[in-house]
Amino acid sequence: MMKAPKASSSVIRLLIFIGFITLLAGSSCDSSKPSAEGGPAENEVNKPAQGVIVAMGDSLTAGLGVAPAQSYPALLERLLVERGHNYRVINAGISGETSSGARARIDWILKSEPDIVILETGANDGLRGIDPDLVEENIEHILIRLNQEEIRVVLAGMMMVTNLGQTYVDAFNELYPRLSRKHQVVFMPFFLEDVATVAALNQEDGIHPNSAGYEVIAANLLPYVEQAITLSSP
Amino acid sequence: MMIHYRFLYEELRYGGKQALTFIICVALSIATLTALNSFRRDVHGSLIDEARALKGGDIIIHAHQPISEKLQTAVDELAVNNRLAQQKTIEFYTVALTESEDSSLLSSIKAVEMRYPFSGTITLASGRQLKEILAPGSIVVAQEVLDRLGLEVGDRVLIGDSPFKVIDVVTFESMRPVTFLSFGPRIFMSMTDLDQLGLIGRGSRVEHEILLKIADQKEADQITKILSAAAAPRLERVETAKNARSRVKVFFDNLLFFLSCISILTLMLSGIGMQGSLSAILYQKQKVIAVTKAFGASNRFLLTQYLLMVSFMGAIGSVLGIVLGYMIKRLFPLLFGELVPEGVGYSFHLADSLEGILLGILVVTVFTLLPLHRLGTVKPVMIFRHETGGGTRSNAPLLTGIVCGLFLCLLVIRQIDDLQIGIFFILGLALLIGTASLAASACLWLLKRAPLPTLTLRQAAKSLYRPGNASRSIIVTLTSAISVLLTIFLLKLNLFATFIESYPENAPNLFCIDIQHDQKELFQAVVGEEVLLFPVIRARLLSINNQAIDPEKERERKTDNLGREFNLTYRETLLDDEIIVDGKTLFDGNTQLPPGVVAVSVLDYIAEIGEINLHDRITFNIQGIEIEAQVTSIRSRTKSRLYPFFYFVFESATLESAPQTFFAALHLPKELIPDMITAIVAQLPNVSTINVADMAERFGQLMRRLSVIVTFFASFSIMAGCLIMVSTIFATRLDRIRETVYYKVLGADNNFVVRVLSCEHALLALISSIMAAGFGEAAAWLICTAVFDIAYQPHWPVAALAVVCSVILVVLIGLASSAGIIQQRPAIYLRQQNGT
Repeated sequence: MMKAPKASSSVIRLLIFIGFITLLAGSSCDSSKPSAEGGPAENEVNKPAQGVIVAMGDSLTAGLGVAPAQSYPALLERLLVERGHNYRVINAGISGETSSGARARIDWILKSEPDIVILETGANDGLRGIDPDLVEENIEHILIRLNQEEIRVVLAGMMMVTNLGQTYVDAFNELYPRLSRKHQVVFMPFFLEDVATVAALNQEDGIHPNSAGYEVIAANLLPYVEQAITLSSP
Repeated sequence: MMIHYRFLYEELRYGGKQALTFIICVALSIATLTALNSFRRDVHGSLIDEARALKGGDIIIHAHQPISEKLQTAVDELAVNNRLAQQKTIEFYTVALTESEDSSLLSSIKAVEMRYPFSGTITLASGRQLKEILAPGSIVVAQEVLDRLGLEVGDRVLIGDSPFKVIDVVTFESMRPVTFLSFGPRIFMSMTDLDQLGLIGRGSRVEHEILLKIADQKEADQITKILSAAAAPRLERVETAKNARSRVKVFFDNLLFFLSCISILTLMLSGIGMQGSLSAILYQKQKVIAVTKAFGASNRFLLTQYLLMVSFMGAIGSVLGIVLGYMIKRLFPLLFGELVPEGVGYSFHLADSLEGILLGILVVTVFTLLPLHRLGTVKPVMIFRHETGGGTRSNAPLLTGIVCGLFLCLLVIRQIDDLQIGIFFILGLALLIGTASLAASACLWLLKRAPLPTLTLRQAAKSLYRPGNASRSIIVTLTSAISVLLTIFLLKLNLFATFIESYPENAPNLFCIDIQHDQKELFQAVVGEEVLLFPVIRARLLSINNQAIDPEKERERKTDNLGREFNLTYRETLLDDEIIVDGKTLFDGNTQLPPGVVAVSVLDYIAEIGEINLHDRITFNIQGIEIEAQVTSIRSRTKSRLYPFFYFVFESATLESAPQTFFAALHLPKELIPDMITAIVAQLPNVSTINVADMAERFGQLMRRLSVIVTFFASFSIMAGCLIMVSTIFATRLDRIRETVYYKVLGADNNFVVRVLSCEHALLALISSIMAAGFGEAAAWLICTAVFDIAYQPHWPVAALAVVCSVILVVLIGLASSAGIIQQRPAIYLRQQNGT
């Protein structure tokens, strides 16, 4: 059998490189998969909202790979309405965003005048091996800023994949509970509780939840959000 | 059938230069076609090998979790029957540490079995084979790992809980494409070490692969089917090397399409050359044919003899063409370097030769139909009358045209594999010839009535209307030839401008993403030079002209869809590779926008997808905040694909305060990149760097190779075009001889004759090439915009140069072919003509 030469395969690599550059340079940096519409879920017509909740986060919040109505902010809004909380939940998730990105746009988030912010960030930092100290510093900055504006926060904790090594994983996983204690925020210990590693609840990539996975997330998140609503009520 | 060998011998002997032109034309067309077809066959074949090299096996099973028992059993059963061999790989990211734990680096681990890989290449700095040296407890790492951790070969690296000794450096890995998520450099380790790492288990993110090598390639599809049936739907992917190559296939298809077009055009030009040179031979022999007929030779006898002569010349041309094709193929490795896989370029199968012969027969038959048909129109009475033309009108030219058209059509369909394009191709050629014919008549008509200042010019112009003169057909032939050549040349220029010059030596080779607003200055300081930073703002489209975007519907689009997240940017000027195609300026400062509405410039690509026009209103959702924008311009990109581009560009004031990150594209000397990455990451730990230096370098080489390929094949067309000019001038040589003699009889000197001849040729060439310049530009524009979908630059100076070169060439060829005549004494010619 003819041995496939190095030279030829380099051509293919080059072609993939071209595709990569196109992706990199173009507007579809984070994924070729279409992601969900990020606008607010439909609220009940003619009924003034009691308040605004901004779901701030990365692709896990944006709902990468699922329909807009199946992303967790939309499901959460529905659950809240069903339980008598007429809150509008704005999806402010950005696929591929790191905690540095989240920190940089906190003032923009404030423009929506939220009553509650659900903060889910840091997963992309972890997957890129970014120093957990930096992640902690970024999240802390966001929490301080939200606190200054007297906005109630639900901090969603993240747990890093174990293959990154015990030292890194421990440093990463511990930062969320530490911050929640320090800043007295409502804390959901793990955003992907009951969903991570369950094949049936995730998309093919094994990272992003599917619609069933988002239902679990929304249901898990609900008590924490209700707690925040209670705390933010006068 | 009666064959008169002596007659044939004499005809060939006195056919001289025309016969040679005929043979070269045949050889040229056959050589181009066979070499290209053979090249294409080999490239297609080697693509599968390349895909294997990329994938590391014939079939690849991929999963994000351990391979299911069912699928593993299916693989094992096939392996037991020796239908395939298998090996596993496990790939994941981890944070590697120095032994002192003072330095860490996110790395991409690939744990492999001893025989890895089945196919593809891994090059090590030492020159040894990975499979020979990778022992338990050792690792082979990318240079970047050593550079960034400050280590050397022989040092130890902590992975998980265990130390590993670095035994070599990997310099190339065919199985690792560059992707947007290639954040860490490679570390190879032995599969047997995996368990002691303590990294793999619940909560880990690991890519599992089984590479399969099939014993009998014919079974590949069947085995894939068996394995696909056993694979867990959605979770396990079974891919063959064959179906994993779509992007590569598209690329080569495009390249081969262009080359096929060149080969067909070369064949067409050569065909016209054959027709012209054979006409010249037969034209010269008119008297001989008439005499032969007068002695009782039948049309059939003459047709047989000339058919044999043509077949003989065709056979020589075909053999020459096949030999030439073989030689061209031998040159491929030299010309194309790494673009052509090793092993390709040396083989020249029997099929290639047979195809060459068959094509030779067909080409010669089709293109000699008309000249041979004209044999029948020569009458014995011509001996006594000085008739020059074929005389009676017939449907032969039309019929021949139809046959040639059909033949070309079939050939185009065969070469390009696309009926529609084939038909367009032929229609385009027919339109070109038809228009050229009409335009030629119009030019001649105008010239006849134009007041010409000098005697030389008047005589030259009159020569164009001499009885039986073929001026119109010469102009049509020349116009077709020059416009085809110019089209090829202009296409080449535009393709190069788009694909090759856009990747100059200083193309970016290091990309930095996620630079934050407050890190801009620090980033510039670390990089130490003025770097253009592109702001990136994530947003979604909500509506266009109040029509809400339906994300569900958008997801069904095969092209880019409007429902996804977009990257917006802001700036006040166009980039170097951008032009406005609709609108006055980027944001059309003169237009008063209603309060609350901002200006946006849209890239034509997305404008087409979303049917967005100038002045349309688009509503964006920028992370929770809605912004309404009016389209003030539509932009297009002229070339580069390597520089960042954005679908939606806003004025700075609109988006400056929006949440944004920055993206930088740098060019640095390759050897400085590792240090630069270390410096950037040390100062700006959140910034991710993507080093594409190797790829950028190889890509530059690839592009330069491509330019060689295109130029090489285009040169065949240019040669064919020159041959047409030669044969066309030869075909009407006798008329010119007679005119020359008459001028001399009337007292003209050599100088005058040369001037008249030069002017006549120059007039022919000028009319033809000016028309060709227009046709060439139009055709190249059409192909660039409709077929290649690239921007078109007209290059009028090139067209002007084509006009000048054509005039010079035609005049030179004309004078060269008349050189003997100019010196000839009139008395001798007249005596010969009168047969005394």
